[in-house]
Amino acid sequence: MGVRARLGRLPVIRQVRQSVGLQRGMLVAGLVITGVFAILAIFAPLLAPYGFNQLKGDDGVSFGAQDPPSLAHPFGTTVGGYDVLSRVIWGSQTAFFVIAVAIVLSIFAGVLLGLVSGYLGGWLDRVLVVIADAVYAFPTLLLAIVAAIVISHGQSNLVGGVFAAAISITVVFIPQYFRVIRAEAVRVKAEAFVESAKVIGASTWRVMFRHVLRNSTRTLPLILTLNASEAILTLAALGFLGFGIEPTSAAEWGYDLNRSISDVTSGIWWTSIFPGAAIVLIVLGLTLIGESLNDLADPRLRTRRRSSDAAGDDGAADDDIEVVPGGAIDADAPADRERA
Amino acid sequence: MTAATVPAAPAAPSAPRRRPRPAGGSLGRYILVRFLLIFPTVFILVTLVFLFMRTTGDPITAALGGRLPADQLAERIHEAGYDRPLIVQYVEYLGHVFTGDFGRTLTDNQLVTDVLFRYGGATLELALYALLVAFAVGIPLGMLAAYFRDRWPDAVFRVFAILCYATPVFFAGLVLKLVFAVWLGVLPSSGRAGPRNEIALGRLENPTGVYLIDAIRLGDPAILGDVLQHAVLPAIALGLLTAGIFLRLVRTNVIGTFAMPYVDAARSRGVSEYRLVRRHAWKPALIPIITVIGLQVALLLGGAVLTETTFEWKGLGFELAQYLQARDFVAVQGIVALLAVIVAVVNFLVDIAAALIDPRVRY
Amino acid sequence: MTSASTTRRALAIAAGAAAAALALAGCTTGGSTGGGDWDGTILVGTTDKVTTLDPAGSYDNGSLTVQTQVFPYLVNTDYNSTEVVPDLAETAEFTSPTEYTVTLPAGLKWANGHDLTSSDVKFSFDRNIAIADPNGASSLLYNLDSVETPDDTTVVFHLKTENDQIFPLILTSFPGAIVDEEVFSADAVTPDEDIVAANAFGGPYMITSYDFNNTIQYEPNPNYAGLLPAAENKTVIQTVFADSSNLKLAVQEGDIDVAYRSLSPTDLDDLAGNSDVQVIDGPGGEIRYMVFNFDTMPFGAKTAEADPAKAQAVRQAMAALLDRQAIADQVYKGTYTPLFSVVPDGFFGATQPFLDKYGDGSGGPDADQAAKILADAGIQTPVSLSIQYNSDDHYGPSSGDEYAMVKDQLEADGLFTVDLQSTEWVQYSKDRTTDVYPIYQLGWFPDYSDADNYLSPFFQEDNFLGNHFSDAEVQDLIRQQAVETDESARQAEIEQIQDRMSDLISTLPLLQGAQVAVAGADVNGVVLDASFKFRYAPVVKG
Repeated sequence: MGVRARLGRLPVIRQVRQSVGLQRGMLVAGLVITGVFAILAIFAPLLAPYGFNQLKGDDGVSFGAQDPPSLAHPFGTTVGGYDVLSRVIWGSQTAFFVIAVAIVLSIFAGVLLGLVSGYLGGWLDRVLVVIADAVYAFPTLLLAIVAAIVISHGQSNLVGGVFAAAISITVVFIPQYFRVIRAEAVRVKAEAFVESAKVIGASTWRVMFRHVLRNSTRTLPLILTLNASEAILTLAALGFLGFGIEPTSAAEWGYDLNRSISDVTSGIWWTSIFPGAAIVLIVLGLTLIGESLNDLADPRLRTRRRSSDAAGDDGAADDDIEVVPGGAIDADAPADRERA
Repeated sequence: MTAATVPAAPAAPSAPRRRPRPAGGSLGRYILVRFLLIFPTVFILVTLVFLFMRTTGDPITAALGGRLPADQLAERIHEAGYDRPLIVQYVEYLGHVFTGDFGRTLTDNQLVTDVLFRYGGATLELALYALLVAFAVGIPLGMLAAYFRDRWPDAVFRVFAILCYATPVFFAGLVLKLVFAVWLGVLPSSGRAGPRNEIALGRLENPTGVYLIDAIRLGDPAILGDVLQHAVLPAIALGLLTAGIFLRLVRTNVIGTFAMPYVDAARSRGVSEYRLVRRHAWKPALIPIITVIGLQVALLLGGAVLTETTFEWKGLGFELAQYLQARDFVAVQGIVALLAVIVAVVNFLVDIAAALIDPRVRY
Repeated sequence: MTSASTTRRALAIAAGAAAAALALAGCTTGGSTGGGDWDGTILVGTTDKVTTLDPAGSYDNGSLTVQTQVFPYLVNTDYNSTEVVPDLAETAEFTSPTEYTVTLPAGLKWANGHDLTSSDVKFSFDRNIAIADPNGASSLLYNLDSVETPDDTTVVFHLKTENDQIFPLILTSFPGAIVDEEVFSADAVTPDEDIVAANAFGGPYMITSYDFNNTIQYEPNPNYAGLLPAAENKTVIQTVFADSSNLKLAVQEGDIDVAYRSLSPTDLDDLAGNSDVQVIDGPGGEIRYMVFNFDTMPFGAKTAEADPAKAQAVRQAMAALLDRQAIADQVYKGTYTPLFSVVPDGFFGATQPFLDKYGDGSGGPDADQAAKILADAGIQTPVSLSIQYNSDDHYGPSSGDEYAMVKDQLEADGLFTVDLQSTEWVQYSKDRTTDVYPIYQLGWFPDYSDADNYLSPFFQEDNFLGNHFSDAEVQDLIRQQAVETDESARQAEIEQIQDRMSDLISTLPLLQGAQVAVAGADVNGVVLDASFKFRYAPVVKG
C-alpha cells in the first residue's frame, strides 16, 4: 500500500490515474510507443538480428547492398550493405542516449538560468532576456551545425555526435525553458512562503533552490518530453546533413536517411521508410505524453475562459499552454519586467 | 532545421508580448520601447554569427584544403586577412555594415545585397505557399477537432497534428518525392521551374524573384502551370509542419470560446452547435493565429533551409546552407542579418498589432 | 471582423491554388512547356557549382567547365587526343630551353568585337599572378618568370627552369584562359555580371543569359577561330543542381539532355537499365587513396616505438589485405575501378605495381602474405589503426560505405583492429596537415592531363600532403622526368617512381573513377576524353 501510494505520487503514474477517456488513451498510447522504443534500446543486442556495423553474416558472406526485404533481412539492406532492421533497432539506443544527455543539459542550463534571472531580477535579468530573444531568432540549423563543428571538432564518433546534437538543441531551446522557469520564478517569489523564508533569514541561494525552484518545476515533465523529441529531431537533421554519427560507431536514423536519398530516386523505398518511420514514431510517442501531461497539469486550460481576464489576447497564451505551459505564464512575465 | 517542427513555437514570443498598456498614453511609450529593442536583438545576433562563423574555419581551407600544401594555404589565408585578431575583423565588419556595405561573397564574388534580393523572393514565395497550405489544412481541421472535442475524430485530428511536426521535413520530402515524383511520376521532384522556363523567367525585365508573379507577367499559361507544379511538393512539406501548429491553436481557442458567456447565451437561444462553431466560436480563435503567423516567420525561414535543400528550391535557406558549407562568412553573415531583421521587425509589428487590438474593447 | 473575411478569402485562394496545381499536375508532367524556339537547344545539368567566371578567381571543376566553353586557350588537346596542340595559337613551341614562344594569327576578335592580341595574353597571365586570388590557381604558374610581347601576334613565356615539359599542359588548364584586357580588371577579380554585360568571351561560346549558380545560357561565338570545330548546336543551357538525386531525376524525366558530374552509383546503376537514356563513360583522372602520416602512424617517427621498417611493414600488410574490386562493385557499382599505382591507368607511363606485389596477384586479398610481412618485421598482431575519412561528401556521399568496407577487410583476419572516424571537411583539412590523423582518406582530380600531376604535388618536397614522407631518390626522379625531352626515357623514369612508391607506400591507392555522363537516348556528340573537359560544342540532339 505504501509503495502504491508512493508510486501514485510519481509524476507520470499520477497523471495516468488522474486522466479519463480520450486523454488517458492518448497518454497511454504515448507511454506504450515510448516504452516499446525503450525496450528496443535496452535489449538491442538481443533483439537485433545483426550488429549495427555488420557487413557480413556469420558465414563470412557479405549481405549485399540495397537488397529488398527478405527473410534474412526483413527490412532489406542499405546502400552501404548494412541490415536495415538491425540499424533501426540499434538506432533507438542512440536516440535514448541523446535524449538523456539533452535532458540533463537543459535542466542545468535553461532551468538554472531562468531561476537566477527570474528570482534575482535586475540588470542581469534584463540582459539575459534580450540575449534569449536574440538566440531565439537565430537560425537553428546554423547553430546546430556550428555546435557540431565546435563541440566535436567535426568528429563523428558516438559521444561527439550525441553531445553536438544535445548541446545545440539545448542552446536553441534555452530561451524557451529559460522563459518558462523565469516566469515561474517571478510568480513564486512573490508568494507568502518565500517572503517568510526570507524573513527567518534564509540565504538567497537557499530560498532560490529550496523554495522557488521546488515550486517552479510543475512544468518540468512537459519540458522534458519536448526537449527529448527535439533532441531526436536535431540529431536526425544533423545526421541528414552529414554532421552526425559515423555509421561504424553507432546506428543513427538521420545518417541512414541521408544515405537513402539516391535510393529514393531509384525507387528503393525500404532504406528510407523504416528509419524515417522510427523517428516519426518515437517523436509521436514522446509528444503524446507531453501533450497529455500538459492538458492534465493545467486546469486553467479548461476553466480559464470564465475568468474574463483579457480573453482574446490571452487566447494566444492559451494555446501555448497546450505544449509548453510556460507560454501562459509568460503572459504575466513582461508586465513584471516593465515594472522592474 | 527542426525548429520548424517545434510545437512549442508560440511559447517563445519576443519579449514584451501581449501586455499592452490599457491607457492610451503608455501605448506610445510601449511602441517606442518595443521598437528600440529591435536593435540590440539584431546586434547580438550579428555578433553571434560573426563569432560562430570565425570559429568554424575559413573559406580558403574549405575550397582548397585538399589541393594545396599547408604553407601555401596559410599564405593565402594570411593575404586574405583571415588570420588577424578577431576583434580587428569584427570592428572592420561592423564598420562596413553600419555604412550599409555588406560586401561581396568570398567564395563567388557576388554582391551580398544582390544575393539577398535574388533569393529572398524565392523564400518569400515558398513561405507564402506553405502558409496557404497551413491555413487550408490547419483551420478547418482545428475547427472540426474542437467541434468533436474529446470524441474520436478529435483524437484523429490531434494525432495528425502531432504527426505533422513529428515528421522531419527532409523525411517528408523524401516520401513525397518517392510517391509523387518516382512512383506516380506526376510532379517534378526539384527546382522552381523547368530549365527552359528558368531561362524564360530570368530574361524578364526587373524580375521580382517570385516566380508566380513573374510567370503571370510573362503571360504564358504553360510556364505558370510549370511553376505551380514545382511548388506543390515543397509547399506541402513545409506547410504541413505549420498546419499541425495551426490545427492545435484553432482547436484550443475554439474550445476556449465555447466557454465564453456570449456563446453560452447563443446556445441558450437555441443556436445549433454547428452554427456556433461556424458563426461564433472561430472568429476569436483567429487573433492568436495572427500572433502565431508572426512567430512562424522565424520557423518558416529556419524550416526553409531543409525544405529548400531537399527540393532544390533556390532561396535564402538553400544558399545559406551552401555558403555555410563553403565557410563564406561574409555571405552567411549577410543572410543571417537579413533574417534577423525580418524576424525582429515582424515580431515588433505583431506585438504592436496585439497591443492595438485591445481585447477589452472587443469584448 | 476584417480578419474573419480575410481568412475566408485566404482559404478560398489556398483551396483554389491547390486545386489548380493538382489539376495541372494531372495533365502535364514536369518540365515540358510550350514554345517552339527550343529546337537545337541542349540542356546540360551538373552538380558542380561555379565559383566565378573570372579565371583568376577560381580553381574548381565547376568554374573550369564554364571557362572551357567561353574563353580561348593558347594551346589545347583535340577531342580524344592527349597531345598538346595550338588552339588559339598558330604555333607554340620551345624556342630555347627557357623560352616558350606562341604566335597568334592576325585579326583575332573577341565576341564583343575587341581585338584579341598578344597584349591580351600578357595581360591575362600578369593579372593572374598579380591578383593571386586565394580561390585562384595562380600557384600553377610556379615556373613562369615573365611574359614578353615583341609584336601583336607573338608571345614569349620566359620560364624559370629549362625544358619544362609540364608548362604547355598547364596552359590548357586553369590559369591558361585568355581574357579581354579592355573588360577585365588588372588587379582584382572581375564580377561575373560585368563579364557577361561586356560579352568578353572568346571561346567556342558566349554567354547570353547568366543567372548565377542556377542557369547559364550559351550561344555559339561567331568570332571563335580556335582548334575545335564550330558549335553544332544553337544554344546550350546549363543548370546547376545541388543534389545528385535531383540531377538524376531530371535527366531520367527528360528535363535535361545531359547530366555531367556527378551522379551517385545508385543513380547510375538505375539509369543503366533505362532505355530512355544512355550512360557515356570516359577515362577518369579522379583517384581515391589513403595517406599515411609518417610521424604518427603505428611505429611512425614521432611515436614511442618509432621504427621505419615496422611502419613500412604495416603499410605493406594493409596493401596486401585490401580487396579493391569488392569495394568498387558493392559501394560504387562499377563507377570506380581498382587502382594499383599512384598514377592512374591510362596515363602516359602508368603501371600496376601494387597488383603484382600485394595480395593474391589478381587484385584479391592475401591474409597469409600480410601475416608474413608483419611477422618478418617482428610486429605483434593485432595492430591498432586509426583511420579518418571525410563525412560531408567532399569526396562523394559513399565515403562512409567505402571506409566501412576497408575497415571490414583489414579486420577480417585479425591482423588489424581499426578505429574508424569521420570529420567534416574544413576541420578535416586543418587536421590532416597538423598531424592529427595517422591514416586518412583523400581524393584527387587532376589539374592537367599528365602523370606528373600525380607525382610532383604528392611526393616532391613541400608536397600538399604534408605527411613527412621524404625520399631523395623519388624526388630526383620526379625532377628529372619533368624536364626529360626524350619520351622513352621519361616513361622509364615515371615507371621507376611508381615502382619505388609501391614499396615505400606514402599513399595507398584504392580506386580510380571514370568520367560518366548520362544523356538522353537521342543525344549525340558527348565526348569524354583525357582532357577531363566536357566540351559542349559537338553535342546535338535527334
